[in-house]
Amino acid sequence: MAVNEERSWFWRKIGFWFVPVRAGTLGPEEWAKVRKMSRTGKSRRTRRLFALLWVPALALEIAVSLWVVRLDPWAGLMGAAWLTMLMGLTVRALRIGFAQVSLEDRAVMQYGAEFDALQEKQRGDIFQQAVRDGLFGRVRVDEHEAEQRLRAQGAAYRLLGPALVVFVAGYWAVCLFGPFAATRSALAVTAVVVTWLSALVLATPTMIRMWTQPDEPEETAVVAE
Amino acid sequence: MSLHNRIAVLRAEKKLSRAMLASSVGVNPQTIGFLERGDYTPSLELAFKIAEHFGLPVEAVFSPRPFRTLSEQVYELHKREV
Repeated sequence: MAVNEERSWFWRKIGFWFVPVRAGTLGPEEWAKVRKMSRTGKSRRTRRLFALLWVPALALEIAVSLWVVRLDPWAGLMGAAWLTMLMGLTVRALRIGFAQVSLEDRAVMQYGAEFDALQEKQRGDIFQQAVRDGLFGRVRVDEHEAEQRLRAQGAAYRLLGPALVVFVAGYWAVCLFGPFAATRSALAVTAVVVTWLSALVLATPTMIRMWTQPDEPEETAVVAE
Repeated sequence: MSLHNRIAVLRAEKKLSRAMLASSVGVNPQTIGFLERGDYTPSLELAFKIAEHFGLPVEAVFSPRPFRTLSEQVYELHKREV
């Protein structure tokens, strides 16, 4: 396409993701790329790949942070904070992605037509809106999405609960019996804090239920008689 | 317990896209896809909304047992008439 060939490499590869799309500014090549990207998280294979890469990424983050902390504590802490924030934003983007409506479905919902049948301006509007919704987290958390989130959180809790207990027991063992005679009292303080935090985390769901569950109903009078 | 449904058949019959159905019952289009594939059991509220959308009783759209195929049902009706 003539319009497509006139544009710079930067625009063709990167630029168009970040600037408002005007009528006729995107060629078929870019649209194909946009649609391919928007479908990335839809396949289980890709999602599982992300999940598998998550653990080494976390381990790498911890290793890098510890290495920098040993060189310069201040820089190490700041670096760890930034890396954690970056990973948090990534998780947020992934979570939003689950509830995002595809470009094709947006086309049908907004214009009642297939994406390919839309005018360039309409495609651009849909694309820009999808990008904005993704950035600001404006997605509809419907009942399916809410249930999936609850199930995932429940599974995470079941997994992390025992892991936390094992971690605290290990922490106590290291603090009590490790070769740190000089700093044992300081370490004991951190062990108490870690234990308190773990107890708080593990007890919170039960406490929330204790607070929110209504009175148990009794048998109705008509039947009881 | 998995719940069987006829949403895909009803959608095809009415030439209704999943996005349009999703809009009218207030869920995401992908939720309709999961429902049709049997990956998700809807809440009672959503089941009633979907049945209402197609103008059918809820048991005509959802069932705890697998639905018989339309061809089987048509053939049985035909046999009864004969």
